[in-house]
Amino acid sequence: MPRLLRTTAFRLSLLYAALFSLIASAALGFVFWSTSSHIDEQIDARLRLETDVLMQLFRSRELPGLLETIQTRNRADNAGTFVYLLSGPDRDLLAGPLTSWPLDLDASRTYATFTREQLFEVQPYSKGHDESIRVLVTQLPGGYRMLVGHSVQDAKRLQAHTLTVVAVAIAGILSVALLSGAFMGWDVLRRIDAVNRAAGEIVHGDLTRRLPISRRNDEFDALALRLNVMLERIEKLLVGMRQVTDHVAHDLRKPLNRLRSRLEVTLLEARNEEEYREVMAGAIADADDLIGTFNALLSIAQLEADVDRDDRVPFSVSALCEDLAELYAAAAEDKQVAFRSEIESDITLNGVRRLIAQAFSNLLDNALKYAPTDGTIEFRLRRERDAIVATVTDNGPGIAPGDRERVLERFVRLEAARSTPGNGLGLSLVKAVTNMHGATLVLADNSPGLHVEIRFPHALPRLTSAA
Amino acid sequence: MYDSGNDAMRILVIEDDQDAAAFLVKGLNESGHVVDHAADGHDGLHLAETNRYDAMVVDRMLPGVDGLSIVRKLREREIDTPALILSALGEVDDRVEGLAAGGDDYLPKPYALAELLARLEALVRRAKPEQAATHLQVGDLQMDRLKRKVTRDGQDILLQPREFRLLEYLMRHAGQVVTRTMLLENVWDFHFDPQTNVVDVHISRLRSKIDKEFEHPLLHTVRGSGYRLDEHG
Repeated sequence: MPRLLRTTAFRLSLLYAALFSLIASAALGFVFWSTSSHIDEQIDARLRLETDVLMQLFRSRELPGLLETIQTRNRADNAGTFVYLLSGPDRDLLAGPLTSWPLDLDASRTYATFTREQLFEVQPYSKGHDESIRVLVTQLPGGYRMLVGHSVQDAKRLQAHTLTVVAVAIAGILSVALLSGAFMGWDVLRRIDAVNRAAGEIVHGDLTRRLPISRRNDEFDALALRLNVMLERIEKLLVGMRQVTDHVAHDLRKPLNRLRSRLEVTLLEARNEEEYREVMAGAIADADDLIGTFNALLSIAQLEADVDRDDRVPFSVSALCEDLAELYAAAAEDKQVAFRSEIESDITLNGVRRLIAQAFSNLLDNALKYAPTDGTIEFRLRRERDAIVATVTDNGPGIAPGDRERVLERFVRLEAARSTPGNGLGLSLVKAVTNMHGATLVLADNSPGLHVEIRFPHALPRLTSAA
Repeated sequence: MYDSGNDAMRILVIEDDQDAAAFLVKGLNESGHVVDHAADGHDGLHLAETNRYDAMVVDRMLPGVDGLSIVRKLREREIDTPALILSALGEVDDRVEGLAAGGDDYLPKPYALAELLARLEALVRRAKPEQAATHLQVGDLQMDRLKRKVTRDGQDILLQPREFRLLEYLMRHAGQVVTRTMLLENVWDFHFDPQTNVVDVHISRLRSKIDKEFEHPLLHTVRGSGYRLDEHG
C-alpha cells in the first residue's frame, strides 16, 4: 500500500483531485453565498412591501381597519410564514399572537432577525422554537408600532440543501479521483513489477528472458519492445562472446603448442646456426599466424559491436572489384585455375571500402584455396532491380547444405579444410562485414563447388536494431 | 640483414612501453641506425623540436602528450620530420586519423620489425627531393614516366598498367626493402592482408619481364621481409 501511495500516477491524481475539489468548492461556495444573500434581500423586500400595504391601510382606514386586517392575516396565515404585531403607545399589544410587545425595538424601519422563541411564548425546545424570523418594525403616527415578520425557514432549508449537494459532489469527485488514481497507480505498479521480475531474472543469468508486452500497445509496450530488442542484442553478443572465448581457448592452444614444441625439439640437440635460423623463422611464421588470427578476431568483434558506425561513404565497387580481379587473376593463373570475372561498370556502393575489399578478398582466397587444378573461379558484380549482387564461385569440394550455416561461425573449419592453411575466421569476417552493411550472405551449391552471393540492398537502410 | 647498406638514419623513438621501446631501439641499432628514445610525450616533443632527425616513430598512446598531438604540434611549428605512427588500436579509422594529424605512415601493433624498417626507409627517401623526376633509372633499367616506356639495356619491355605502377614504386624505392603490405597499399590501394600470395605472383611476373633475359638480376627477394630492386645484388 505505501508503494501505491508513492506512485506518480496516484500522486498526480491526488493532486488533480485536490485541485479540482478546491476549484469546485470555491465555485459552489460562491453560488451558495450569492443565493443566500439574494434570498435575504427578497425576504426584506417582501417585509417592506407588506409594511407599506399595511401603512396604506392605516392611513385610509385608521386603527380599527389595521387591527382587523392584522388579526385576519394572523389567523389566515396558518403556514406561519408571516407574523404581524401591533402595539399602542404604552407598549400594550393591540393585535398579534403575543400578549405584550416583546422587545426593545423602537426605532422606525429597523430590520432584525430573531428566533421564534425570542418573539413568542413557545415551549423551549418545542418544534420550530429555533426557527429564524426576519422582522421589520415600523413607527406609526400616534405612537403605534407595527412589526411584520417573515419566517426564513424555507430559505434556510434551501441553503442547507444546496450545501449538502455541494459537499456530496465534492466528496464524490474526490473519491472517484482517489479511486482512479489508486487504480492507475496499481496498474503501473503491476506492470513495473512484471518488468522488475523479468529484469531480476535476467540479472540472475537467464538471458533468454524478455519483458512482458501487453496487447495495449501503449508507451509501456513501446518501451518494453525497445528494451527487448536491446536484450536480444545483448544476448547475441554475450553468446557470441562466450563462443569466441571458448573457441579462442581451444583453437589457439593448437598453434601455441606447435610453436612451443618446435622450439623445444630444437633445443634437444645442439644445431648449427643455419638450422637455428630456420627454426626461428618458422617460429616467427607461427607467431604471425597467431597474430593474424587475433587481428581477425578483433576485427570481427569490432564489426559486431559497432553496428552504428558512420564511416560509410559511397565508393565505386566496380573499380574495387576490377582491382581485386586483377590481383587474383594472376594468382589463379599461377595455380592453373581459370579466373573469370564479369563486373558491371559504374556501380556505387555506400560502405566501407576497406572492409568490403577484405570480405571479397577472403572469398577469393577461399576460392583459390579450394578450386582444383584446371578448375574455374568466377567473380561477378551486377546490379539488379533492388540490390547490388556480388558472387564468387569455385568448383572445388563445396560445402554440404547442413554445414553452410555453421561455417559462418568463428573457428569452424570443416574436415575437408583441415589440411589447408587458415584460421576458420575468413567467412566469419565476411559475415560480419555483410551484416554491418545490411547485406545478406548466401552460401549455395555450385554443383560442384561453392557459390557465395552477397546482396547489398540498393537503398542501404541504416541498420535498425531489429535484427 | 635489413640494412640497405650505405646511409645510417638518425631516428627518434617516442614509446612509453619499456619492453617495446628496448626491442625497437635494439632492432634499429643493429640495422645500423642511430636512435634517441623518449618515454613520454613531453620529452618526445622536446627532442623532436631541438634535434634534427631523419625520421621518428611515434606511439599513438602516450602519457603526457599523445602521439597524434605531438605530430600535429610539430607540423604547426613547421618541423616536418617524417613520422611513422604506431597504434595498438588497429582500426582503419586510426590510420586515417594518423595521416590527418600529419603522420606520414601508419603501422598497427604488433608489427614486424622488418616491416617497420622498410617503411621508415621509404619515408626517409620520400622526404628527399628528386621525386618529381620523370625519368627513373636503376642500373640499365630505365623508365620514362611521361611516355610510359620501360627499357632495359636498350630493349623495350612491355608492361601491363599495374606492372608499370609496381615497377615504378620499386624503382622509386630502389635499394630499399619493400614489403608486400607496402606494395598492396601503394600499388593497389588495399589496406588489408590477403591470406594468399597474390603479391608474390605479380612480382614473379614482373621479374620474368625485367630479369629473365638478362644475366644480372635486379629484383631480389628479401627473406622474411619483401623485395628489393637493386643493381647490386
